[in-house]
Amino acid sequence: MITISHRAGETPRPDSHSASGLIAGPGATTAPGVRVRDLTVVYKTPLGELPALGGVSLTIDPGTITGIVGESGSGKSTLALSLLNAVQPPGRIAGGSVEIDGLGNVVDLHGDRLRQARGRHLGYVFQAAQNSLNPLKTVGKQLLDLGRSHGVEDRRALVRDAKSLLERMGLDGARVLDSHQHELSGGMRQRVGIMLALVLNAQLVILDEPTTALDMITQATILRIIREVHKERGLTTLMVTHDIGVAAEVTDRLAVMYGGRVVEHGPTMEVLGAPSHPYTQGLIRAIPRLSGDIEQARALPGRPPTLGTLPASGCVFQERCPLRMDICATVEPPPVIEDGRTVACHAVERSRHTAQREEHP
Amino acid sequence: MIIGTGVTKTYKQRGDVLGGRNVQALRGVDFTVPKGGAVSFIGESGCGKTTLGRIIAGLETYDSGEIVIDGTPMTPLSPRRRRPYFRRIQLIHQDPYSALNPTRTIHQTLRAPLSLRASKTGRPASWIDERAEELLSLVGIDPGYVLGRYPHQLSGGMRQRVVIARALTVDPDMLVADESVSMIDVSMRLSILALLKDLRERLGVSVLFITHDIATARYIGGEGELYVLYRGQVVERGLTETVISAPVHPYTQSLLSAIPVLHGLERPGPERVVPTEALDERQADGGCLFARRCPFRTKRCEAELPILTAGTDPAHQYACFHPQRRDVIPVEAVA
Repeated sequence: MITISHRAGETPRPDSHSASGLIAGPGATTAPGVRVRDLTVVYKTPLGELPALGGVSLTIDPGTITGIVGESGSGKSTLALSLLNAVQPPGRIAGGSVEIDGLGNVVDLHGDRLRQARGRHLGYVFQAAQNSLNPLKTVGKQLLDLGRSHGVEDRRALVRDAKSLLERMGLDGARVLDSHQHELSGGMRQRVGIMLALVLNAQLVILDEPTTALDMITQATILRIIREVHKERGLTTLMVTHDIGVAAEVTDRLAVMYGGRVVEHGPTMEVLGAPSHPYTQGLIRAIPRLSGDIEQARALPGRPPTLGTLPASGCVFQERCPLRMDICATVEPPPVIEDGRTVACHAVERSRHTAQREEHP
Repeated sequence: MIIGTGVTKTYKQRGDVLGGRNVQALRGVDFTVPKGGAVSFIGESGCGKTTLGRIIAGLETYDSGEIVIDGTPMTPLSPRRRRPYFRRIQLIHQDPYSALNPTRTIHQTLRAPLSLRASKTGRPASWIDERAEELLSLVGIDPGYVLGRYPHQLSGGMRQRVVIARALTVDPDMLVADESVSMIDVSMRLSILALLKDLRERLGVSVLFITHDIATARYIGGEGELYVLYRGQVVERGLTETVISAPVHPYTQSLLSAIPVLHGLERPGPERVVPTEALDERQADGGCLFARRCPFRTKRCEAELPILTAGTDPAHQYACFHPQRRDVIPVEAVA
């Protein structure tokens, strides 16, 4: 009944989104699945190499839209970059694998093959779209550069696809392609970023904080677009965010990261409705809400660890945890899967055992 | 107590390719911040909320209107004579990373305003360090740990607490907190908000809270007033709980509808409102400022500017020709 998640082959969930592939965009292939296994990424610091990701395992089912939620230093952006094998020095992937359907183990890709994979298979929407656009070139020129570097022969078709994507997102395609980035608003730039990530028909799209620095109403628009495009083109989408509300609004699976580990992963509705890990519980309680008793909102004591302040052994959350036990200081809790949910917590594990013993004395 | 009436501010932009145009940051804003009270201003970027905060903190001048601080109108006073009034109003910046001098230790940062104060009030030099430690303890950090450190050695949350402690060195009557938690990690945001709340309750410091995040405004100023600003105009104003649970202006409703729903914990509000188009600040004025984006606009809205008026509840005001309460905020899933 209880399995440890270090092996491949977690049960795929064929029920969710199998239909979305049917209404995929032009030239679509099937949405890829992603299997991250024991991924370790270290950063070189004056204190030696410190782990930003400490053996992360995460299975992303084809066609799902998964949120990766965490605070600064949780390793969420490092994980996202690892999917592109794009961790920059002083960081490096020190171990583990990232298997993406149709690409194999991305960690082993190099040079031209890696460059081709990015863009063709993997689309990446950067955190600050204004920083990822060239201020000196029009969007159209950058689109053609992108096409050239990926050996696209039919440039007309590329421009046509770009226009229809922009129009799909409620923009005047021709005008946007003729614009420089300073002529576009934040929300428009973000949509340009999404267009550039999708125009080469990438089927796995990674969005890094796609709505940070956008206004509330613009954010709601972008989130709706992300969800619609995801469905229409039959994508596998990953959204990295610090904002649990943003993830809640669009995702169907949620992975919660803390101190370079995935501490909880499961269907968004369940993770939010009945969080298991004490960190997830604390994080949700710390969100001021619009309805209900506002006095019930509680800050999570302490602060998230940085690379240098991770505990030397045991659970990464031990210092802030209200359920801390002796074992938490010495043994790192392994991720345990039950009913499609993954939780890495000794206390959760123990209470499960207790509950079972009470059921079957 | 601070009362503003008809405060306006226009920024003149130098003509570039498009030709010069004026940006009306504030179009006649009325407000009242009671002594020891909490008031929130919410709105999106460009609505004028930051300008208003800077004017109230005395960091920016206003073009017309009047600001009265504890019974004294500011307009007739020279900038020099205004200074002691505005010193009692301290601004907490959005960005704790740039608000502190990186070359000074926390001790040096706090010492400068405190020694000025000591010499003015004839307190002994020993008071300075005592007070610095007292203030740091008040904002919830260990003086022994932070005093000798530089800002870069502290976390964002700690830095923001130091910024608050520095604001408290002048014994202010009011703190203006402009997006003060937006750059702090989610799990620690609430503790900074709780600190502001606590300072208000314990020291009687009033708090003017400026944010785009209505839920945090609800947390910090639950019993106070909430103002919704749109393009320099207050479009809705009332008790925070009233405006959030029974919003009347379509812009307020759009803002509340845009807040992500925590699916699993909440269900979306049944009457969520979505603006018909994106904001275009260059659009011609004349009618209601929100008319072009409003799903409920009529001919009248395009021709005439609605002014802030109260409905049946005199404390709840809105600038809309077609006020209609709508249920837009998420509903608790469990119940």
